[in-house]
Amino acid sequence: MAYPYRHPSEVLVLAKYFGDPEARTLRGWEERGGYQALRKALGMAPADVVNEVKASGLRGRGGAGFPTGVKWSFMPPKGDKPHFLVCNADESEPGTFKDRELIRWTPHALLEGCLIGAYAIRAEHAYIYIRGEFFEAAQILAKAIEEAYAAGYAGQNILGSGVDIDITLHLGAGAYICGEETGLLNSLEGRRGEPRVKPPFPAIAGAFRLPTAVNNVESLIAAAHIVQNGAEWYRQWGTEKSTGTKLFCVSGHVKRPGNYELPLGFNFREFIYDVCGGTPGGRPVKAVIPGGSSVPILTGDELDIGMDYEAMAAAGTMLGCGSVIVMDDTTNLVKQVRRMVDFYAHESCGQCTPCREGTAWAARILRRIENGRGLEEDLQTLLEISDNMSGKTICVLSDAAAAPITSSIQKFRDDYLALMRREPALAARSA
Amino acid sequence: MSAAYGGADSPPSSWPQALQNPGFAGDTGEFPTLTEADVRGTAYVGERPRDGGHPGVAGTLAYQVAEKNPEAPLFEGPYAERVVKILERYPDSQAALLPVLHMAHEIRGHLSPGTMDEVAERLGLSPAYVRGVATFYSMYNLGPVGKYLIQVCTNISCNLCGGDAVLQAFLDATGTGMGETTPDGLYTVMEVECLGACGFPTAVQINERYFENVRPEDVPAILARLR
Repeated sequence: MAYPYRHPSEVLVLAKYFGDPEARTLRGWEERGGYQALRKALGMAPADVVNEVKASGLRGRGGAGFPTGVKWSFMPPKGDKPHFLVCNADESEPGTFKDRELIRWTPHALLEGCLIGAYAIRAEHAYIYIRGEFFEAAQILAKAIEEAYAAGYAGQNILGSGVDIDITLHLGAGAYICGEETGLLNSLEGRRGEPRVKPPFPAIAGAFRLPTAVNNVESLIAAAHIVQNGAEWYRQWGTEKSTGTKLFCVSGHVKRPGNYELPLGFNFREFIYDVCGGTPGGRPVKAVIPGGSSVPILTGDELDIGMDYEAMAAAGTMLGCGSVIVMDDTTNLVKQVRRMVDFYAHESCGQCTPCREGTAWAARILRRIENGRGLEEDLQTLLEISDNMSGKTICVLSDAAAAPITSSIQKFRDDYLALMRREPALAARSA
Repeated sequence: MSAAYGGADSPPSSWPQALQNPGFAGDTGEFPTLTEADVRGTAYVGERPRDGGHPGVAGTLAYQVAEKNPEAPLFEGPYAERVVKILERYPDSQAALLPVLHMAHEIRGHLSPGTMDEVAERLGLSPAYVRGVATFYSMYNLGPVGKYLIQVCTNISCNLCGGDAVLQAFLDATGTGMGETTPDGLYTVMEVECLGACGFPTAVQINERYFENVRPEDVPAILARLR
């Protein structure tokens, strides 16, 4: 529940105050240098804030990895229309649990990031859309927002600068698809959280059809550090194209699960075996999902890569939101793929036929295989369904559902075949 | 951390003792002074006023609480004030729909067709529109649930560490079926999709609160703690 583990390889920028309950209070945050970045930003021109973040190379931490400063630069020139900053705190990708920790230990860090982001894109209002299940984290953030208003960091004429920025906290109501930025915007507007066809992109027609930037929690907090310390300071960590530090959330079969903040490009094998301590009992690693359930699975032999956007792409997978799920050799992989596909079938919004029908159909076939009634031709059917789900829908939820199916059939075909032969040792595994 | 809390935030027992995620940082020796209240932030948050407090956060009270009254009026007293505060934060009344549905859920425990119609009328939306939105989201219960709504994550990270067994343990301990409510009205047990606490398996949400690192053998202590 809290932060039990640290590791000497960590570089603590964002996670520095995890486990420090004083840091979440306004006074505690100010004593730790809080809101200095906001003061500095308000003394800069908004375009200079955007340029500093652009120069840092910071890439969005919500999964897609789009450069944050570039996204801000897409905002149109400020006219009469209001602009909005929307913080995506709808963290719900299976395997991901970094934003909740950032919010509950350092809520003022997020508010500072939101205020700086809103100032940079000249937004008068920042909405923080947090998933409804994160009620306890939302209460901490709500208290922090009240403190920020009372201290003059939010609202009218912030710190005497003449800048007005309101912050509103908005609870979601249980829908994974609202983590997709246009689904989130529809949900914020009181609609079903169905993703929109792009273009228009949110910078042109976002929340309430007005210019909007949607940024992940971790991106906004990192941006505040960049404004305070400079782009070059941030670039001291990471690789040329994947700069800075990133929170990696690790779960599944490891000795020390939790969040670790590391420079991008850190060796993946070292991460799993050293930082996370390897598997309980030292069993062999069978499979690893490196970036949340929506990315292709790696085998335990494919770990000699860097934990950065480019190296993961070269290995045929994605860094995603840095959510590492480790499975040892006791894992019934077909069951876990079925569980993930069940999830996508449940969370499909139903707008697009390939996703609505494909996810449910694939889940049924996978369940049949799991129960020992699979046929070898099922694998071909699953691959065809996956092909029909990829690149053919409004958003990438169905592409995400296809990733574990195709990568597991490619890399763990024997697991499927063993279940078809009803090998009891495998079928009996509980996880 | 009180002794009564038992092992509710303790690690999967299948893991070697020395290697378990100790859950509460207070157990690790690395953060010896952290208490459960520190982790949950309860002292910092304090009591939230029924009128919602600051308008910027007025729409963020608990949607699922133990004490609920399906007959209670929706828009009276502090709740009427809360709706006004919520409405002032958005360009139109439609955007207030989710927060106001949360509030109706908090008061009555679920969203009946009549409740949705009242929300529609208050916000100037059509009843059909409100039902279309309310039925999209999994946190809105469309029928009554128990005093304690127990939602167990069985998605991949929890599943790898025994989430299915924890779900079964809750079903066994309450003697109820999946999604059903016990005859005394105390418990409803459901499976839930990823709660975003994957490093602390198994994650369980009971009403508005999380319980983490739950093992099957922790279930009786958790149920005792609720009562």
